[in-house]
Amino acid sequence: MLGEFEQLVLLAVMRSGDDAYGIPVHAEIRRRTGRDPSVASVYKTMERLAAKGFLAVRMGPPTPERGGRRKQLYAVTGAGRKELRASLADIRRMAHGLDVGLEPS
Amino acid sequence: MNPDPPRLFLRLAESLIDERMREPIIGDLVEEFIARPSRWRFARQTLSAIARFPVRPRLAGNPGGSLVTGFIGDLGWGVRTLRRAPGFTLLCAATLGLGIGAATAIFSVADPIIIRPLPYPEPDRAFVIWENDVGGQRNNVGFATFADVGATASDFSSFAALGGWTPVLNRDGTAEQLTGLRVSWTYFRTLGVHPALGHDFVKDDDAQGHFGVIMLSHALWRTRFGGDSGVVGRFADINGTQMVIAGVMPADFDDVMSPGAQLWRVLGYDTSLPFACRSCRHLRMIARLAPGATPSAAASQLAAISARLVQDHPHDYPAQGFQLVGLQREASRQVRPALIALLAGVGLLLLIAAANVGGLQLARALRRDEEFAVRTALGAGAGRLTRQLLAEGLVLACIASIVGLAAAKLGIAELLKHLPPSIPRLDAVTLDPRAFAFAALITIVAGLALGLVPAAHARRSALADSLRGGRRIAGASHRLRGALVIGEVAVAVVLLAAAGLLARSLGAVLSVDPGFDPSHVATVAVQVSGPRYNDSATVLAWHDQLLAAVRAIPAVTDAAIVNQIPLGGNRDTWGVQAQDKPLANPELAPYADRYTVTSSFLRVMHINVTLGRDFTDADNAPQGPPVAIVSRSLAHAIWGDENPIGKLVHGGEPDRPWYTVVGVAADVHHEGLDVGETRQLYVPTHRWFFEDTGLNVVARTSGDPAAILGQLRTAALKPDRGAVVQQVATMDDVRSQSTAQRTLALALFGVFASMALLLAGAGLFGALTGAVAERRREFGLRAALGATPGGIALLVLRRGLGVAGAGAAIGIALALGLARVLSAMLFGVGTTDLVTFASVALVMAVGATLVSLIPAWRAVRADPVQALRAD
Repeated sequence: MLGEFEQLVLLAVMRSGDDAYGIPVHAEIRRRTGRDPSVASVYKTMERLAAKGFLAVRMGPPTPERGGRRKQLYAVTGAGRKELRASLADIRRMAHGLDVGLEPS
Repeated sequence: MNPDPPRLFLRLAESLIDERMREPIIGDLVEEFIARPSRWRFARQTLSAIARFPVRPRLAGNPGGSLVTGFIGDLGWGVRTLRRAPGFTLLCAATLGLGIGAATAIFSVADPIIIRPLPYPEPDRAFVIWENDVGGQRNNVGFATFADVGATASDFSSFAALGGWTPVLNRDGTAEQLTGLRVSWTYFRTLGVHPALGHDFVKDDDAQGHFGVIMLSHALWRTRFGGDSGVVGRFADINGTQMVIAGVMPADFDDVMSPGAQLWRVLGYDTSLPFACRSCRHLRMIARLAPGATPSAAASQLAAISARLVQDHPHDYPAQGFQLVGLQREASRQVRPALIALLAGVGLLLLIAAANVGGLQLARALRRDEEFAVRTALGAGAGRLTRQLLAEGLVLACIASIVGLAAAKLGIAELLKHLPPSIPRLDAVTLDPRAFAFAALITIVAGLALGLVPAAHARRSALADSLRGGRRIAGASHRLRGALVIGEVAVAVVLLAAAGLLARSLGAVLSVDPGFDPSHVATVAVQVSGPRYNDSATVLAWHDQLLAAVRAIPAVTDAAIVNQIPLGGNRDTWGVQAQDKPLANPELAPYADRYTVTSSFLRVMHINVTLGRDFTDADNAPQGPPVAIVSRSLAHAIWGDENPIGKLVHGGEPDRPWYTVVGVAADVHHEGLDVGETRQLYVPTHRWFFEDTGLNVVARTSGDPAAILGQLRTAALKPDRGAVVQQVATMDDVRSQSTAQRTLALALFGVFASMALLLAGAGLFGALTGAVAERRREFGLRAALGATPGGIALLVLRRGLGVAGAGAAIGIALALGLARVLSAMLFGVGTTDLVTFASVALVMAVGATLVSLIPAWRAVRADPVQALRAD
C-alpha cells in the first residue's frame, strides 16, 4: 500500500509525461491539490519510490536556465503502475457505499 | 533582467546538500527562482533541502554520518520535530527567550560600566587620587596640594586637576546651561585622549589671568556650532565672557569623570590665588602611572609625600594619606553594587526559565517513550538518540534567542529611559557584538542543557525496553522533574526575598522624616551670568526682584531664596568654627551645609526652630546684625550639651566675620533620605561674604504646587530674561527623584520576582498535573476502596506543598547567603529581615496551595469504575 503523498507524486509524475522532473511534478501537485510541499520533500518521496522500483531515474541534459545543471528525469515503471492501481483500488473498495465523495452515490 | 538567486543560500546549498541530489535540486530551485523570483521562497526551499538531503560523509561504517555533517541532519530533524509541536515550541521559546532577553539587556548595561575597560589607552593605569579625611573618609584636594603632589610623585607620568563648572553658553540670542568641567591643561593627556579637531590645551592656556580657553564636546559642536570645522580659534560667549575654542573632542570620547560633559575650560589657577590653598578642597585629581611603575609603589610614594605635607602644614590637613582608586572603579562606584545585584538576579531568572523549559522537555519526553523505543528498535544507539535530542535542544534555544534579542532590545531602550544620567558610559549601552556574543553563549549552554534533560530520560527509556522496567524509569524521570521544580521554587524564593528586602528598604527610606515638609512647596533653580553681576549690589537687587516676582503669583503664600535645596543633589559644605572652642587644626572643624537664605526660608520649608528664634526681616536688612542659625547636630558637634544661643561662629577661613547664633533648627536630610542627617549653618543672604548668582526659590502654595510650575518658571525669568532656569519641580518630586535609583532597582527586581514566581508556579502545576494523570488509576482505585474526596485531594495538596516547601527551604537558605550582595542597597532592614522572609514563606505557601487545587480536583474526579475496568 502506497502512502498518500506517494500516490500523489506517482500520479504527478505520470501527468508530467516523458520529461518529468522536480518542477513539473511539483507544479502538478500544486495546481491540482492546492498544496505547496517543499521541493525537497517531493524529491525525498521520488527517491523512496525509486528505491522501491516504482520510478525509473535518468539524468537529462544540462540547460542554461538552471545555470548549466542537469535535470534528474523520472518515469513510472510497470511495477509502479501496478502498485498505484492496486493502491487506488483498495481505496475505492474501502470507500464503496460510503458517502465520502469518492463515487457518485 | 532577472535577479540572481541569493548568493548566500546558493552557496549554502552547494556545500551542504548531499552530492547525490545536489545538481537536480539546486537546478530546480534556480529554475523556479528565475520563473518566480522570490528570495524568501528560495531561502526556505534551500533550508528544507539541506535538512532533507544533508551532506553525507564517504566514510564507511558510520551510518549516523560524521559528527559534523550528521549533526546538520540532526538539526534539520530537530526543526521538524519542533514544528510538529508548535504550542510546546512557542511556550518554551517565549519562556527561555524572556530569560535570555532579560540577561542580555542587563549585561548590555553592565558591560561598558563595570566589565569592559574604559575607552582610554591603558585604562588600568589611570587613577583618581583622594585625600584622606578623618575616619577613613575621602576628600577633594586643594590646588596647592595638587601642585605639590604633581611636582614630587615621580611614579606618575601625568597629573590633572578638575573642578565642577556650570557654564552658560550664550549663542544666537539664547542662553543654555551646559554640563562642564574646569580642568588643568594636562587633563586630556592624562586620560590619554586627543581632540578630533584643533589642538589640546597647552601650558600657556592654563596660565592665571589668561582669558578662558575651552574645548567642545563633539555633540555640542554639532548641535550648537553647526559642525563647522572653522570654529577652532574663534570665540564663544560663556557666562558672559568671550572664551577661545581650542578644539573639539572626538565623537566617541566619553568623560567618565563628568558623564555627559559638553564643555571643558582650563583651570587657570596658580598657588597665589586665595582659593588655591590646601584647605580649599574643591578639586579632584587624576593621574596616570609612569611606565614601569606599579600601583603599590605609587601608593607608598603618595603616602610618603602626604607624611611630609602634613608635617610641613599641620593646620591644613585633617588626616594623613591619599587614596589611590582605579579610574574605572571610581567611575562605576555609584552603580557597581546595583549592577552586580542585577546581574545576579537576572542570572537566577535565566536559571529558572531554563529549569522550566527543562521540565516541559521532560514532560514531552515522557510522552515520546514510544518514539524512543521505535528508534532504539530500528538500531539507534543511546549516543545517536542523545545527539538528536541535543540538536533539538539547540534548535529550541536558537528560536528562544531570537525572542530574547528582541526582548533585550526593548528592555535596553526602556532601561536607558530610567537610568540617571549621572551614570558614566551610558552612551555605550547598546545591543553590540559583545551582547550578541553573550546571548549566543547562554543560548548554546541552555540548548545543550535542554537537550541533555530529555536525553537522560530517553537513555533510561531505551534501556527500559529490554529490562521491562518502564514504571521505575518513569519514576526516575518524575523525580528529576520534581527536582527541577524544587530548584525553580528555590530560585523564585531568592528573587522574591531580594525584591522584598528592596521594597522594605524603599519603604524605610520614604518614611524617613526629611526634617522639612515637602508638601505644598515648589522650587525653581535659576542662574544668571555675565560681567554685570560682578557687582554685589546688582546680585542682591536681582535676589529681591526674583523674590518679589515669585511672591506675586496668586497661589504662593510665602517664598524664600536659598543657595541650595535639601535632597537637590548639591553639596556646598563649609567647616564651622566657634569662637569659644578654638581648634589647633582648623581642618578638624565640623562640616556643615551652607544655607544662605532670606528670612522666611525656615517658615516656608516648615523646618522647626527648636531653641532661640527664627530669622526676622531685620536680620536680612542691608545693615543688619551678623546672625546665624545652626542645626541641632551642628550645635551638638561644637558645644555638646551647652546652650549655643549667643555664641559666635563662622564658616570657612579664619578671617571671616563672626556670626551670633540666635537659634537652633531641626536637622535636615540634605544629601539623601538614606544618608543620615547632615549639619546645617543658616546665614542671611546679606550677611554671607559673597552673593550667589545661582540659587533656588522655594515657594509654599495654597493649592497643588504642581499647578504653579509654569508661573514659577515665568517669574524666575522676569527680572533677567537672560537667566537660565535649571529646574522647576515640586519638593515632593525632588524628594522622590532622590530615591530614583532605589525605585528602579526595586522595579527590576519586582519584575524578575514576578516572572520567577509565575514560572515556578507553572512548573509546579505541570509536574502535579503530570503526576496526577499518571496516577489516575490509583486514585480511582483508592476512591473505589472508600477513600474520601478530601483524603485524595489531600494527597495531591501534600505533594504540591511538599515540593514547594522543600524549594522554599532551600531558597530561604540561599537567600540568606546571597543577601550580602544586596547589602549596599539595603536601608533600615537587615539581610535577615524576619518580616521579609516570613512574607516570602507565606506567599509561597498560598501560591503552592492555589497551584495544587486544580490537580487535586482532577485527582478527586478520577472515576473508580474506569480505573477498575482498565485493569
